[in-house]
Amino acid sequence: MTLRIVGVNHKTAPIELRERVAISRDALGEATSTLAALSGVTECMIVSTCNRVEIVAALDDAAPLAEHALIAFMQQRFGIAPEELLPHLYEHHDHEAVRHLFRVAASLDSMVVGEPQILGQVKEAFTVARKIGTIGGQLEHLLQSVFSAAKKVRTETEIGSNSVSIASVAVELARKIFGTLTGKTVLIVGAGKMSELAARHLVQQGADKILVTNRTRERAERMAGHFNGRVVEFAALYDEAPQADIIITSTGAPTHIFRREHGQAFLHKRRNKPMFFIDIAVPRDVEPAMNKLEGLFVYDIDDLQAVAAAHLAERQQHTDHAEQLIAREVARFHERQRAVNVAPAIVALQQRAEDLRQQELKRIHARLASLTPDQLAAVEALSRGLVNKFLHPPMQALKQAARDNDGMRLETVLNEWGLELDSNEVLDNTDINGGQE
Amino acid sequence: MYLIWLRVAMVLYGLAACAALPAVLYGVDRWRRFAVPTAFVAFIFHLVSVVETLTTAHRWVPVGVRETESIMGLLVAGVFLAIWRLYGTFSFSIFALPATFFLVFAPALGVDGYAFPSQGVKRGWLIVHIAALIAAFVALGFSVIASGLYLLQEKYLKFKLKPGGTKWWLPVDWLPPLDTLERIAHTMLMIGFPCMTAGLMIGSLLAQESVGPAYFLDPKVVASFVMWGVFVLLLFLRRSAGLRGRRAAYLSGAVFLAMVLVWAANVISRVHGFGAK
Repeated sequence: MTLRIVGVNHKTAPIELRERVAISRDALGEATSTLAALSGVTECMIVSTCNRVEIVAALDDAAPLAEHALIAFMQQRFGIAPEELLPHLYEHHDHEAVRHLFRVAASLDSMVVGEPQILGQVKEAFTVARKIGTIGGQLEHLLQSVFSAAKKVRTETEIGSNSVSIASVAVELARKIFGTLTGKTVLIVGAGKMSELAARHLVQQGADKILVTNRTRERAERMAGHFNGRVVEFAALYDEAPQADIIITSTGAPTHIFRREHGQAFLHKRRNKPMFFIDIAVPRDVEPAMNKLEGLFVYDIDDLQAVAAAHLAERQQHTDHAEQLIAREVARFHERQRAVNVAPAIVALQQRAEDLRQQELKRIHARLASLTPDQLAAVEALSRGLVNKFLHPPMQALKQAARDNDGMRLETVLNEWGLELDSNEVLDNTDINGGQE
Repeated sequence: MYLIWLRVAMVLYGLAACAALPAVLYGVDRWRRFAVPTAFVAFIFHLVSVVETLTTAHRWVPVGVRETESIMGLLVAGVFLAIWRLYGTFSFSIFALPATFFLVFAPALGVDGYAFPSQGVKRGWLIVHIAALIAAFVALGFSVIASGLYLLQEKYLKFKLKPGGTKWWLPVDWLPPLDTLERIAHTMLMIGFPCMTAGLMIGSLLAQESVGPAYFLDPKVVASFVMWGVFVLLLFLRRSAGLRGRRAAYLSGAVFLAMVLVWAANVISRVHGFGAK
């Protein structure tokens, strides 16, 4: 059995192609079932996110054309001509496929390294596939190791430690100012997409009172409806603003709508309680001089982007550590896999020894006839004990040879015991191991 | 009799001063409703005591430190009550009532002063005095540290990272949020203040027992009361003007400096030589 991964991602394909091959959550089960029905596909799952679509499949060695069937599946399902798809397609085989899957789930292959969503998306693909029965022992074992390694990467390295999106940076800064956001009031000035996203993040973190103001009241009402908030008349902006702890502003005003004197008035009314301005408008809505006022913190879009970029750079510094960890985990997976593969050889060895023991007991059966039942039981136990003792070194040798991927040693042990198993079969029983470490 | 009236007034001033703290600092109206009438009744007793003292002595000019202190206390209480009546503001109580209490305290002990019944009792009060002041100093120390960290965190949050620019000079990820630091600083002050007040009151009692009314002229004692005054000012401003952040941190630093000066004053104190010996 061999493992194959075929797909496109943000590194190999433009967004125009990626959006054509994306599979919605609702269609994932049906697509996976269709894939599993292909000849030679024994196990499979499909990972589909906004940045990648990957088919993960265990293929039957006896069906050499199955590999081409995967590519054909993509072409047919998405109606894309080969010359359009193939230049952007990548394939990973066996050992490389295992490593790729480990890296994807650990977010080392993501557009934003360390982003946490990908692990959930891989888990979701796995759950869907398992539910419809396209996951067998091979992928089950592989994916469990993948999830465990991804978790380890998140806990033992800092690749996911700092926020790298504008909205999450804003939340992080708000938390540095206010601690908890529970009970905090957020005023959204200008009902744009970006401000809605930032507000959504703040609400998720506990901000529970949302005020919305916009020159067009209908838009303000629509956004206030999303957050169960209250609409503030644009004319009453300066009267209502002091009650807000956080102000997200993104209007199209050509000049600053919040100036230094407004900041001073707000602070006076708030008895110097801090305020956080998230200014995502271009041109800016908040006069930069307001940041000089004690208790007022102003971050414009460039400031937020600079923090996000710095965090991303920090994450990149931690990727080496994460890559090493993944390499170790991949090696450990292969070791465990080979230990599983050597199990039939060990069973055969034990069976062989048991046969020999039974033959010997049969041979001297007549001479043991005079023994009492207790004495017979003692002979039985003695012979069993001896066999176990004799088997211990070769069994250890088999396990060690499998762990070391040492085909010659494995074959020597098997030959010594007259076993006819193919050492390559043991080591490369599934090509997931690749046999070339 | 004047001494009895004065002692009643002292106790009532003490109660009113204690009630004034939560009333002003936390805006608890229940305590304000208790403090004002109590202070007024104390003022009446105090007035009676002063009038009786002076009429008995057939003079209208105070003589000696104790009488002067008592009349000064009466004036402070009177001005506070007048302000409260005219302007309806209670905030001054946080200064006026404790100050009146301290001013009345020594005269209320009588001409001969107060003597402890035994050395054991005196030692007990001494231990409480030391413990209360150490607790106050520790709380103030924590408040100053929290204020310093507040300044650091605030500076970091005001610092703007430029694309490709270097990070801030100090790693500050470990710092708690500004609001947490502010609350720690404030809570520590609120814990430290009653401790310091109690410590100074007990210290005054111990000092007048040993030295008499002259203890109030000692630089160490004066510095202690100045420190207490700055402490009260800090709490008052925090509460009434919403003082927080940088300016609150500087004022906490001033209280801390005053505390260090009080400690240093041991060297020149005749009453309180601890630490210099």
